Amino acid sequence: MKSSPRFGLYFLVLLTVVISFFPIIWLILTSFKNTAGIYAWPIQYWPDPFTFENYISIFNNSPELLRYILNSFIVGVGCTAITLMCGGIAAYALSRLRLRFAGVLMVGILAVSMFPPVSLLPSLFQNFLNFGLLNTYTGLILAHAGLFLPFSVWMLASYFATLPVEIEEAAKMDGMGFVRIFLTIILPLSWPGFVATGLIVFIFSWNEFPLALVLMTQNAMRTAPVGISLYPGEYAFPWETISTATVLAIIPVLIITAIFQKQIVGGLTAGAGK
Amino acid sequence: MANVTLNQIGKSYGKDTAVENFNLEIEDGEFLVLLGPSGCGKSTTLRMIAGLESITTGELSIGGIRMNETDPKDRGVAMVFQNYALYPHKSVFDNMAMALKLQKIPKAEIEKRVNDVSDLLGLNDYLERKPAALSGGQRQRVAIGRAIVRTPEVFLFDEPLSNLDAKLRVKMRMELQELHKRIGVTSIYVTHDQVEAMTLADRIVILDGGKVAQIGSPRDVYDHPATEFVAGFIGSPAMNFLPAVQSESGWRITGSDLLLPHPEGLATKSETVTLGIRPEHIEVITVVSDPDPWVIEATVKLDELLGADALLNLSVQGFDLLARVSGTDFPEAGSKVHIRMDPARIHGFDPATGLALSRDPISER
Amino acid sequence: MTQILTLEKRTALTGIGFVTPTVLIIALILIYPIIQSIVLSFGQSSIDGFEPYRFVGLDHYSKLMGDSRFWNALGVTFTFTALSIPLELMFGIGLALLMNETFKFKGWARLAVLFPWALPTALNTLIWRWMYNSDYGLFNAVALQSGLVERPINFLGDDVLAMVAMVVVAVWKTSSFMALIILAGLQSIPRDLFEAGRIDGMNRWTEFTQITLPLLKGPILVALIIRSMDALRTFELPFNLTDGGPAAATESLSLYAYKVIFDFLDFNFGAAIVVVQFLVIFTMSLVYVFALRNKD
Repeated sequence: MKSSPRFGLYFLVLLTVVISFFPIIWLILTSFKNTAGIYAWPIQYWPDPFTFENYISIFNNSPELLRYILNSFIVGVGCTAITLMCGGIAAYALSRLRLRFAGVLMVGILAVSMFPPVSLLPSLFQNFLNFGLLNTYTGLILAHAGLFLPFSVWMLASYFATLPVEIEEAAKMDGMGFVRIFLTIILPLSWPGFVATGLIVFIFSWNEFPLALVLMTQNAMRTAPVGISLYPGEYAFPWETISTATVLAIIPVLIITAIFQKQIVGGLTAGAGK
Repeated sequence: MANVTLNQIGKSYGKDTAVENFNLEIEDGEFLVLLGPSGCGKSTTLRMIAGLESITTGELSIGGIRMNETDPKDRGVAMVFQNYALYPHKSVFDNMAMALKLQKIPKAEIEKRVNDVSDLLGLNDYLERKPAALSGGQRQRVAIGRAIVRTPEVFLFDEPLSNLDAKLRVKMRMELQELHKRIGVTSIYVTHDQVEAMTLADRIVILDGGKVAQIGSPRDVYDHPATEFVAGFIGSPAMNFLPAVQSESGWRITGSDLLLPHPEGLATKSETVTLGIRPEHIEVITVVSDPDPWVIEATVKLDELLGADALLNLSVQGFDLLARVSGTDFPEAGSKVHIRMDPARIHGFDPATGLALSRDPISER
Repeated sequence: MTQILTLEKRTALTGIGFVTPTVLIIALILIYPIIQSIVLSFGQSSIDGFEPYRFVGLDHYSKLMGDSRFWNALGVTFTFTALSIPLELMFGIGLALLMNETFKFKGWARLAVLFPWALPTALNTLIWRWMYNSDYGLFNAVALQSGLVERPINFLGDDVLAMVAMVVVAVWKTSSFMALIILAGLQSIPRDLFEAGRIDGMNRWTEFTQITLPLLKGPILVALIIRSMDALRTFELPFNLTDGGPAAATESLSLYAYKVIFDFLDFNFGAAIVVVQFLVIFTMSLVYVFALRNKD
């Protein structure tokens, strides 16, 4: 290829990278400014002074931040676990066991995944209130699982479809029951699919907003995105606190994305092949 | 070791019938081959015997016991798959031992049995390897070993040699034959390759569109094909088919002036017939002695040297014939020759039903 | 003993067993609430159970029809969707084409494209809110300093600009997601098609219109469906960016419903809004699924 198209290509790539990263970079820079720096005019592009004081004081200003992040973790892990377990066996049954209702159920699952979360709110709130599930980990984990099971089932089903059927048939002839086949054959051979699905579901759960907002009303139980979004008071936006807290809150997700980007992209694009 | 009985076995998927009215008694220790083109129902039948497909109609018994509802693992059968179906994440040893492990057989005995089979198949050096590290032929042996280790009543083979290259196929075929001689377990073998069928089988079942076309020994199906389909399927290159019309003095080949006398014993009441003659039963005559109605003039259109044999594409008055002759000293393209069809080897088929006109009272169907 | 049930029946039983937990959870969290919302919308009640449920028929719905704020929310939602989807599609295709080429820093580029998707929408919106700030925001700083404008622009205080601002944030965040889906489609186009096209004499533009675009119809449709469903349900974007302001110029249907339910504590009226929203989205999804069906 000639060199000038290449140059144009690299330029576009650079442009894309800059556009994608600049909000996060601006966020990080903001978190390292002191209050005067944040509200300086003309605007400070680079923090002057470059200070860690926000990070040090954040745990005094808003001690519940750590709790928020912890909550997000617990809900995320719980939701991912349930989604993978229930979704995994469901996906196996629907794609492998040649059930008559499989097609209908798959379409049904696809259909319910389109429900707007907000439309679930009045009912879920009322029921959770009455059954004491409000402000509990169990409650939100269950709610998230409901939201993300359809995706999980579809993703895992498409992974299972790539496994050759004959191996399962040989296992059947060797005498394995369905549960055993699932545990000793399907799981080991499709664990990349489980990893990708799990990562994506975790990110979904971490980022989820409407349900987390409504089902956790006690400050101590809120997840990170919700907790931080509610920092702003009546009149003031404590941008120092917000920016610092946001940086801390998005670190886990960004780290996961950075490390597992191949798997995640693979998972998303495979899911697109539905 | 056990016999297998299929009584009016049929399989349908909704409105589609894959197998229809399959009746067969397979004897203890027999090597039975299910032969036919793709989609004829042979694999489906095998899978019904295995328990991987449900049986829609009819009854299956193994060793005299009805097996329709039994789990595959309780039927006393072992299967060798076309794609080997080895567990990719387990070693060769574990692959072969799996079934025994599931039957809770003591470790010491598992080891003994797997090692015995490994000796038999020459797999001793590979026991710790995973399937990915083996060649196609080795994987096939592991698949066979996995079946042998279970000491089943019946072996089931689903086109096990299709994925091997030609040379390996020939080698494995002979190994399978030897294996069967040694172990002597009832074997049911599915293939679309008629050479495999002819060389391995005690009896062949030829399937066409879900129905049984003929059951017989290799000799039977070759010499006395029951239908036009069987006649054309067995034998390579395929039989020549000539549509002909009845006349008083014989049969006139459609599209030509050639009149052939009625071969002895081959008679039919219908107006039209399809005659058949195998390429190997057509010879090139150099000396024309007595007038012989079976000797005709022909021109060689094309000649193909195969090695020991040669194929001649002949143009006879109005139609083509393929002849198989010796590879040494054959007439080349363009030459005019005399050929003779052996009247004892002429077959006749009813054009409407495809059934062979009987000339020999013995013909199983 | 196991012969009492046929092989098929036993398989079916196992299948049902495997599927049950998932079906239960989905029924509990997704299906039952919708039904309950429908029931709520037809009645009058209070959450603490003081007033028993009283059937009022279509009262809430007729109130909804006359509610200008409702129609505004509907308009806002549709406008938002209509503006952001085409832009996301365009950028998504462009990004996908870019990512399909081979170049050195592919890893970085892929990360760059993935990050926006991985961010929590709510927090991402806060970041943008800060950048849009009329006194101290980055955008105004750059615009003023480069001489583009003389006075700071009040992005979030102007009803038109606020919508634009919202669309920008949405496009920024989800173009990458679109790109990923379309990239999958791109990569499934066999290479030799392009080679044949080159031999036939195509340049890059005709290559794009004659080969790429037609073969991308499938993935594009999938991406469209997913994204427009999401756009119609948008909640945390207006919630965090403008709280629906100024004067409900960016109040999406979801946001309005939320306010009715949790600020005014009117569960029944809120349920009606929510049911309408559900119907809109459900209808659209049926249309889409139908379109997909016929395409196959």
